[in-house]
Amino acid sequence: MSTLQLRRRNFLVGIAVFVLGTVSFGGSTYAQEVLKIGVLGVMSGSAASWGLVNKYCAETSAQLYNEQGGFEIGGKKYKIEIVPIDDKNDPKLAVSGAERLTKQEGIHYIIGPNVDTTAASVQPVAEAAGAIYFPYAFQKTLYSPPHGNAVLGMIASYQAGPIIYKYLMDKKGVKSVSFVARNESDPLNQRDEGVQAAKKLGLEIKSSDDTYEPGTTDFFPVMSRVVGKGADLIVLSGVAPADAPLLIKTARELDFKGTLSTETAQDIKILNEVAGAAAEGFVCVGGASTPEIRSDEMEKFVDRYKKVAGEWNDEAGTKVYALEIILATLKKAGPEAINDVELFKKSMPDFTMKNPFLKEDKELKYVGTAYFSQPRQIGVPMVVNQVSDGKFQALFVGSVE
Amino acid sequence: MGLEINQLTRHDGSGSFRVARENDHLSSRQKLRFAAFVLILFVAVPILLGRSPYYITVLTNAAILSFISLGVWVTFSIGRMNLAQGAFALVGGYVVAILTTRYGVSFWLCLPLSGLISAALGALVGWPVLRLKGVYFAMTTLSLTEAIRLLALNGGDITMGATGIVNIPRPGPVGIFGLTIVPEFNGADPLPFYFLACALLVLGLVAVWRLSTSRLGWVFRSLRQNEDLATSIGINVAKYRVIAFGVCCFMGGIGGAFFAAFHQNIYPATYTISDSVNFMLYCFLGGLSYIFGPVVGTFLLVIAFELLHAVQDYQALIYGVLMIVCMLWLPNGMLSLGLRQDGRREGERR
Amino acid sequence: MEQMLVNGVVLAVNYALIALGITLIFSIMNILNFAHGQMFMIGGFVVYYLYGIFKLNYFVSLVAVVIVLGVIGWSFETFFFRRMRRMATREENSMLLAVGTALLLENLALSIFGEKQRGVPPVVTGVFRIGTAYLPAGRLLVMVLALVLIVGLLLFVQYTKLGRAMRALAQDREVTHLMGVNVDRVAAYGFALGAALAGLAGGLLVTVFGVNSGVGNVYSIKAFIMIMIGGAGVVPGAILGAIVLGFVEAIGYELLPGSITYLLIFTGLIIFLLLRPQGLLGKPWG
Repeated sequence: MSTLQLRRRNFLVGIAVFVLGTVSFGGSTYAQEVLKIGVLGVMSGSAASWGLVNKYCAETSAQLYNEQGGFEIGGKKYKIEIVPIDDKNDPKLAVSGAERLTKQEGIHYIIGPNVDTTAASVQPVAEAAGAIYFPYAFQKTLYSPPHGNAVLGMIASYQAGPIIYKYLMDKKGVKSVSFVARNESDPLNQRDEGVQAAKKLGLEIKSSDDTYEPGTTDFFPVMSRVVGKGADLIVLSGVAPADAPLLIKTARELDFKGTLSTETAQDIKILNEVAGAAAEGFVCVGGASTPEIRSDEMEKFVDRYKKVAGEWNDEAGTKVYALEIILATLKKAGPEAINDVELFKKSMPDFTMKNPFLKEDKELKYVGTAYFSQPRQIGVPMVVNQVSDGKFQALFVGSVE
Repeated sequence: MGLEINQLTRHDGSGSFRVARENDHLSSRQKLRFAAFVLILFVAVPILLGRSPYYITVLTNAAILSFISLGVWVTFSIGRMNLAQGAFALVGGYVVAILTTRYGVSFWLCLPLSGLISAALGALVGWPVLRLKGVYFAMTTLSLTEAIRLLALNGGDITMGATGIVNIPRPGPVGIFGLTIVPEFNGADPLPFYFLACALLVLGLVAVWRLSTSRLGWVFRSLRQNEDLATSIGINVAKYRVIAFGVCCFMGGIGGAFFAAFHQNIYPATYTISDSVNFMLYCFLGGLSYIFGPVVGTFLLVIAFELLHAVQDYQALIYGVLMIVCMLWLPNGMLSLGLRQDGRREGERR
Repeated sequence: MEQMLVNGVVLAVNYALIALGITLIFSIMNILNFAHGQMFMIGGFVVYYLYGIFKLNYFVSLVAVVIVLGVIGWSFETFFFRRMRRMATREENSMLLAVGTALLLENLALSIFGEKQRGVPPVVTGVFRIGTAYLPAGRLLVMVLALVLIVGLLLFVQYTKLGRAMRALAQDREVTHLMGVNVDRVAAYGFALGAALAGLAGGLLVTVFGVNSGVGNVYSIKAFIMIMIGGAGVVPGAILGAIVLGFVEAIGYELLPGSITYLLIFTGLIIFLLLRPQGLLGKPWG
């Protein structure tokens, strides 16, 4: 054979082997009924921890249930299978991921996505395919009528913000505030909500126009402007866990003596690693589970999560709720709800169970009617943390109605 | 004039002269292959995959991405590496977004309009920029992609900045005298978008092939081989460069318009440098000497990406490795595997 | 005002190290190293693991960076680009291969290092005041080290045999070959050196900014902008480009809201390239 023909043959053979190899990896047979739940979120890039924590939480809970034979719905035990897809915070990939989950895998319950843009892209797909998704994006239109297929998985910034500001005003004498936000849809919305809340409480807004581009690592220029405005409190609106430590460190290097806060969840390990002592006193919304309020079941989850993900992530305290409440609601609504989300929706308003992750006897239900006119939010506890001695210390625990 | 060009290029010894000469008029074999391709797209796929809307969506994406990459191929044919296609897709997308959501203009009117606006913008920017070559042109077009993205980000109330434009309506029905030629696109059925995508791709292929074999195509080839020489025999190099670039941007704009209606939203982040680079990669992997190159490259990469889903954790890594392997072992693209042993392959040294 | 100037100087010196690396590679091999940002990132991670996790001496970890990135750069030239040069005549092929290497490194890094943001303990602590401006000691250290490395590189290129061979190679490949220089070997070393410079920049800046596997593209683009401004393949041009970008960024971020700075940078760059495509100090190209 000539070189060309030889090359061509080898190449085609290689492709065929490759295709066969990957395809054969995909299939397996189960003897038991399988309940597939999708996880669609950002799992790479600078915001990767958001989507990955979703995935790890779901996989951990699934593992724990499957080891006991599965999760029981309507008298039958189901093996929980998690199907994760990385959307890289790209709306195009979020759409194709949602299509794959709903149409290819036949999934009706999806955890995620993580930001406004991807959640908005998934909306038409989920509604057309009859699926419910649990985003971690705050835009109110996602959860308000006429849309009803989305359930917010965490505390929104506009829910935590007013409470945090009030606390800081009372306890730390804060009178003025400056906002700095990432130049992206979510953080900008959060900044606007924060400004409104601050105004209502009577805080003086020193500045709210400063933004930084996604991908910035050098925050000196933007922080020198913000710190220069002389506010008592700087709010880092919608800050990603990767950026927060750098912003804090830079602010302290610029001799900022006031308080720094945010309404998104952060990662204590990165805060310590990158900001070190500068992070002392930083206020943020915490994972809905601190060591003080945890139940034994939560401790079990934490241990297993560490094995699955390699290390604990504070955010997981909030994101553990998603799969748990999906399964519990399905149990209440009955096995037909696995493929019919309307039954699931009907069960939501009266759904209630003992919160399995809290030591105290508290209720877990769907909340949010005050914000969205319908119960489309998981009632996770609102934990506000402060960094103290390199650890998260719960300032207070509240809830949303 | 035409004869002189031929003689000059023959001295140069490049194989593309031969290939183009043979394909000036399609052999019946090639006509058959093209007809088969069209048939597969429009008949076989809907019948075989009609039950799997997910695969239809994957192929829709592949079809439109290859359409956009075909535009980049046209700039390759005048010897430029164009990294600005993302910018023009973004422009096309915003045209549709703004006109349909704010002024209620029908999508079918917006579609050609976005192509024209992108082409006009491309011609305006291209006139001076096309003087550059090689790396410098590539870097300048790269900057253009970023500049347009940042412009959209800072577009105030026109582009709605980072929040983007959402709830873009799907294409409505088209009818004459009460007869519906094109039904309304509804969300549950992926086929209307699929057919539209394939129609655009086929039209694009036919148009680019006609362009390539017309006198314009000859001029483009001579530009690619030696611009100075072309100027010396009196060709208005600047004009033809802009025409090629304009065609490229036209296709980019239409592709962007399609996606805006398909996904029903557009953000400044919808097309980034990665996308511009990808369009270029698709052309390359298919084979730059072949009009079908971008189509082959796109379909292969899109399908490969989907197949790699089974190994989710290493998907991106395997993708990167495959890319390098293809570049090193098939520098002339996939389609060079299919070339018969007669002609010299493009780029091969004697 | 003073803060702006201080920021500008710090940025300029940091960026100069990055610009020099990519200009070196471009001058020797006529390839735009798309993977430069990824090499920067890998340098950061090497320091993170050796200095941050295993607690080795910071300077020891910098040496490790040179070794690791040097090997990577050398391998790229020997296994990828040399092969490509022999095979294809279109210059686009090499550029595409460069894009491929960037993708490869990025995805490799993501698989090996994970996606989390990482940081290291500061090498020095404290903040200096210059007038009304603040200059953290960590940044000052990075700046000083970068200057040392830049001077070291300039001396190397000017006075050592290998450095002279690289300059000769940049000027005229054929003649250098005829003079008896092993062109392939020098090119490989050149790539290794360029990669090492990128890695060192990353290793230095990780103490200030931390690192995550996504920063590659951002720094690659900065590198491109700098050599386009200053002139590709010309060492003084790289430094000039770094100074321009550093100060424009510092001034822009101080005076203008967020992303407008880069919008102006890109628009300005496009217009500038139209008027002077070879950059400020570059040779007019053919």
